[in-house]
Amino acid sequence: MHIMEGFLPPEWAVFWWVLALPCLGFGIFQLRKILAADREALPLLGVTGGFIFILSSLKLPSVTGSCSHPTGTGLSSVCFGPWVTSVICAIVLLFQSLFLAHGGLSVLGANIISMGVVGPLAGWTIYRALRDTRVNMFFTVFLACAIADLCTYVVTSLELALAYPAEVGGVASSFVLFLGIFAITQVPLAIVEGVVLALVFKYIVQLKPEILVRLKVFPEARIRAAAGDA
Amino acid sequence: MYEELLEDIAQQNRLREVNTVTKLIAGLGAVILCLLSASFVAPLFIALVLTATLLVLARIDPATYGKAFFGPLLFGGLGVGAIVLLAGGEGTFWSWQLLPWFSLSITQASINQGFFIFSRVIGGTSALLFIAFTTPMTDLFLVMRRARMPDEVLDLAMIIYRSIFLIMDQLVQVYQAQLMRLGYSSFRESIRSFATLAGSVFIASWEAGEDLTRAMEARCYEGKFAVLGEGRPLSLPSAAAVVSFLAVSAVVVKATSHIRLF
Repeated sequence: MHIMEGFLPPEWAVFWWVLALPCLGFGIFQLRKILAADREALPLLGVTGGFIFILSSLKLPSVTGSCSHPTGTGLSSVCFGPWVTSVICAIVLLFQSLFLAHGGLSVLGANIISMGVVGPLAGWTIYRALRDTRVNMFFTVFLACAIADLCTYVVTSLELALAYPAEVGGVASSFVLFLGIFAITQVPLAIVEGVVLALVFKYIVQLKPEILVRLKVFPEARIRAAAGDA
Repeated sequence: MYEELLEDIAQQNRLREVNTVTKLIAGLGAVILCLLSASFVAPLFIALVLTATLLVLARIDPATYGKAFFGPLLFGGLGVGAIVLLAGGEGTFWSWQLLPWFSLSITQASINQGFFIFSRVIGGTSALLFIAFTTPMTDLFLVMRRARMPDEVLDLAMIIYRSIFLIMDQLVQVYQAQLMRLGYSSFRESIRSFATLAGSVFIASWEAGEDLTRAMEARCYEGKFAVLGEGRPLSLPSAAAVVSFLAVSAVVVKATSHIRLF
């Protein structure tokens, strides 16, 4: 879910850009560290970006039948960490605005914060909290992806509400209205995205577990055990 | 399904040979002017000029342009609807006090504001589409390299760009195979099919990434892609056209700042 070009007033567009830039800077710093340690990571990060682009331009089977799309950031955040995901996401968002007119340039900062920073960070936090517990691996991935998608949508609503507070009740009541409007499509969507990405994860575990072992997504023994079960 | 990217059209448009920076200045300038405008007139004026340029000079197919334009506008319309209900202000037509701290209303001022924002979305979308339809990404990479974008980011962007087309091909093939075998006949079935689709595409693209690593190693990749591109010379007529377009738009922004819908 992206904010459209021209939707935010100039002062808010600048505000979100200012907030997004340091996050991107930190992401680039992390990216350099990863590439210095393992040069082979670059093509893999690249195809992940392509994957996010494709996934977030796809229409998911959604309950309301509206045009909603997954973000795909949860899986990347689990695999590569949240900050590198922000850099990938920023590039993907730029491409989307220039390939498909999804999102925009002045609102790119706001979209980076919602889809590239807060969403992945939230998903990653859930994943880190549950990784070393006895919670089922697939359920962890489901939660991380669903929460990443949900947070993206909550932050987008907040960005819209801050820019356009209601006359009665101010930011809070316009936040409620934006949340309400988008909840119709986004809540089922977040659940569907979580289920789909958990199934994708399961599929990878079954067919190519060495990817996950190499990225140390979960302890090797658990991944091997899950692959053996399947 | 998703074969038709704006990028394919950009490769063939009639403004392809115009200097990239000139086109970027026109598009980015239009985005900024739309944002600075205080009235709905200037964004609509900008949208009109850029649309005419795309259809007449760049020879973009009107049906394709219309589809690219109106798809995104639907989402914008939804958001604008919410703003009209919330903004309040003078001249109430309808209002509904739902809770003490939450009320919806439609007023003269809120309709004005909603229409203004919608016009800004129209102007901004046309500026984006102007860049999208006239400037292929490969030309932009050259500009980005010259603008000193960090090498890692640019290389990553180029690999992402490349892999989009690879993944898209695979995705379409698997999707059509699934569709033929009734993979999307029910909701449950679609979820399952979609997950296998995404999973197989992920693994396939991962393998494409590994192949790419090997291919790059074999060609002595050392952390920086060479960007090849023809430098498109700056031509006076196109530069003059962009400067006058931006100047006239700026005058329209300034002169019409007081105009309201009603």
